[in-house]
Amino acid sequence: MKALVFSESSTLAAQVISGLKSVLDFSVAVPKDQADSVSEYGAKEVISLDGNPQMDAFGKKISELMNSYDFLFVPSTVLGREVAGYVSAALGQISVPEISKFEIVDSKCKTSSLSLGGKSIIDIISDAKVLTVAPGFADPVKVSEKSKISVMTLPDSSVSVISEEEKKGTGVNIESAKVIVSIGRGIGKKESISIVDPLLKAVHGELAGSRPVCLDYQWLSEDRQVGLSGKKVNPNVYIAVGISGQIQHIAGMRGSKIVVAINRDKSAPIFEECDYGIVGDLFQVIPKLVAAING
Amino acid sequence: MVNVIVLIKQMPDLEQIRSDPGTGKPIKNGVPTKLETLSENSIEAAVTLKEKYGGKVTAILFGNEQSSASMKRAYAMGVDDGYIITGYKESNYLFTARVLAEKIKELPHDVIILGNQSADTFSGFLSGQLSAILGEPLLGNSVSIEIEGDIVKVKRNLENKSLVISAKKPAIVSVSQEINEPRLPPVMQIMAAGRKPIHTEVPKIQPSGSVQIVSEISPKSDRKKIIFEDVDKGVSEVGKILKEATR
Ligand SMILES: Cc1cc2nc3c(=O)[nH]c(=O)nc-3n(C[C@H](O)[C@H](O)[C@H](O)COP(=O)(O)OP(=O)(O)OC[C@H]3O[C@@H](n4cnc5c(N)ncnc54)[C@H](O)[C@@H]3O)c2cc1C
Ligand SMILES: Nc1ncnc2c1ncn2[C@@H]1O[C@H](COP(=O)(O)O)[C@@H](O)[C@H]1O
Repeated sequence: MKALVFSESSTLAAQVISGLKSVLDFSVAVPKDQADSVSEYGAKEVISLDGNPQMDAFGKKISELMNSYDFLFVPSTVLGREVAGYVSAALGQISVPEISKFEIVDSKCKTSSLSLGGKSIIDIISDAKVLTVAPGFADPVKVSEKSKISVMTLPDSSVSVISEEEKKGTGVNIESAKVIVSIGRGIGKKESISIVDPLLKAVHGELAGSRPVCLDYQWLSEDRQVGLSGKKVNPNVYIAVGISGQIQHIAGMRGSKIVVAINRDKSAPIFEECDYGIVGDLFQVIPKLVAAING
Repeated sequence: MVNVIVLIKQMPDLEQIRSDPGTGKPIKNGVPTKLETLSENSIEAAVTLKEKYGGKVTAILFGNEQSSASMKRAYAMGVDDGYIITGYKESNYLFTARVLAEKIKELPHDVIILGNQSADTFSGFLSGQLSAILGEPLLGNSVSIEIEGDIVKVKRNLENKSLVISAKKPAIVSVSQEINEPRLPPVMQIMAAGRKPIHTEVPKIQPSGSVQIVSEISPKSDRKKIIFEDVDKGVSEVGKILKEATR
């Protein structure tokens, strides 16, 4: 069967292709700046989309292209989810969100996704044609032969772009870190983040954070956000400092081998999701912990 | 003056869901329901627009007979008029979009506000679906909204960039959790909301396509959960473990 992947990110598209190319024949449609990088993962064809890269333009184009495909896979991003919704409604086809597994059983789709805000995993059997894919679906694997690239023009959008600003990334890749020290709202203010510097040094760790720290307050750059709408990480050691452990955060760090939590609230949910917990004020615990590690 | 439709959903209070140690399934019976997180942000955004430009806020909730508590909460937060449509089918997002679109078509509006991704299912399909069905532009994942004449302008947040985008009314605006802090309505308003009538209807269309949940289990936590309430003992034990594990 034939499947199309749409994504604005070649990295995320590559995860889907790599995870499922043994079961499906893939084409991939990406904005033109991603076409080259996505052509190394074994898709039969890369469709490079040229034009104003807005949701409705992608939605219309992908709906047209779907005449030739059995499934549409869209890695879950803000834009991706919107486009997936658009296409599913335009075609009148069933959609399933945030899948982490996919198989075809008796010509139906069998998928798994998180539900109840991460409190459950549901398996669904459906007529779905449109699926969004949770980040970290599979490791991208390059192949030797490059896909052929064809260019298509996007239709006009009903949305005008007035201005655009790239977010400053730090180039950090917390997904490959072996040790992560992750800070939450409990750190209190940006200036206090330096309290974890000696800990980072002692454990040779990379710094990450919860969504409020990265998104609301912007104390850390967004590429350091762990969680459902951030990065899925799987380090050997994950140290959660002043993080309450809401399910959306846990969804991003469940793959960690050892989880250590520091929180002053004994009833914080993070203590249900850690291997070792210390109940106490992080400003007292961290210096002592650093001394214990270095001593 | 703006006519705002806000789409709101009810969900179980996720923090109160425990799993059955025997079956590993989440226990949903008896768990109280509440307004879905992003629906609350949507109400706040809608009511803020009304306060700024004047006008009216109408809420639509596709749920069931038990959804009136959420609608009352919406009233208490400043929603003027509310429709509950019963017969919600979990996991059939196409049906949800079609039912809501049918109702929206009956109501004059300048802006439709909804959450960009709901807190229980994480679907995020609805905004794009409505844009396709209604043919209205989507201004998605907004962190601010302004209306100037017949133009709606928002700041849109994407993973790697933020944009200021605009479109002609009527437009669909999905909001990000960062857009606001939903207000806590005063007791007087909560009492008044309780007396306000809610329109209740049934869908005019039937669901199509098959979506079946064949199993539901709680993700297992195999964590050791060794918790130290004595900080000095904790740092010494955990220090040893970290030293070993990060060497
Ligand atoms: C659709 C959706 C997607 C989301 N995606 C994500 C995501 O990707 N990542 C994410 O993290 N969140 C996400 N969230 C948000 C999530 O629900 C929580 O709001 C968030 O994780 C809470 O962050 P926090 O733990 O830093 O803050 P809080 O919940 O405020 O917790 C702060 C903790 O610090 C502790 N504390 C305070 N002071 C101290 C001190 N001095 N010493 C020790 N401990 C202290 C407190 O006891 C508390 O437990 C999402 C939400 C939704 C609805
Ligand atoms: N059944 C429903 N009735 C009314 N509004 C809904 C419903 N489901 C979702 N919404 C709205 O759409 C937003 C996004 O939902 P979803 O696209 O399903 O993740 C929610 O935050 C609500 O604002």
